[in-house]
Amino acid sequence: MAVTKKAMTLNLTDQEMAVLERMCDKKELSKTALIRQALRLYQLVDTRMEKGEKLFFEHEQTKEKSDLVLL
Amino acid sequence: MSDRYEVLILEAATNDVAKASLIVDIARDAIEAAQRAFTEFHSKNGGSPEHAHWDWTKKFQLTVDYELTYKMLGIECGGQVQGLMLIAVGKDCKIPSQKGKNLVYVDYLSAAPWNSKATTATPKYKLVGKVLLQAAVELSEDEGFRGRIGLHSLPQSETWYTNIGMTDLGKDTAYLNLKYFEMTPEQASAFQKG
Repeated sequence: MAVTKKAMTLNLTDQEMAVLERMCDKKELSKTALIRQALRLYQLVDTRMEKGEKLFFEHEQTKEKSDLVLL
Repeated sequence: MSDRYEVLILEAATNDVAKASLIVDIARDAIEAAQRAFTEFHSKNGGSPEHAHWDWTKKFQLTVDYELTYKMLGIECGGQVQGLMLIAVGKDCKIPSQKGKNLVYVDYLSAAPWNSKATTATPKYKLVGKVLLQAAVELSEDEGFRGRIGLHSLPQSETWYTNIGMTDLGKDTAYLNLKYFEMTPEQASAFQKG
């Protein structure tokens, strides 16, 4: 079920690359898969916030809520 | 833009193989036609499967608003949609051994009512649900999620998800008290071979 994809070059700092590689190890994903997942999540959050929704985290035990500040 | 792939289902009466198309990113007009046919079948033939109230045209909007996350897939055979599935790409796994990993979440899946034993004593086609679920596993592999999928099951389908080897994580009080099932990479591999 392979969908046609387009290639691009991505320039990252050493720090960004280190984070990317760390996240890839943790999630068992390739760099491409991780970037695609990040883009999906960013679009989902952005669209919901545009609709007037608010994004926050809730601690599983304490139920304490904190807003997520996006750039 | 839709992509089509040839898949095989079975004529329920004869077990003859029927060539069908798996459509990824199925178009709005096809969904609307399918919903009209599903509704007409329910009103003529009765039967009340637990998903009879699902409105696929409303669910389709998710694939427009969140185009990278939600995808709608359908099986078409004999000029008619035989089953539909809505998936969300990239949710988190709940099985402790898979914690932190991503999966494809099957939000809704159903065969057309004329293919469902819950609606008719003489279903037209078999394997529609299985082929759709296999497509979800394949999409999970394409995304690098190694075939991991998850779903909440209606009570009428719990036995089937157990029988195909998914892990039953019990009732989810945060989601209509429906049982939550997940498939690990190993279970996905066995499912695809079976």
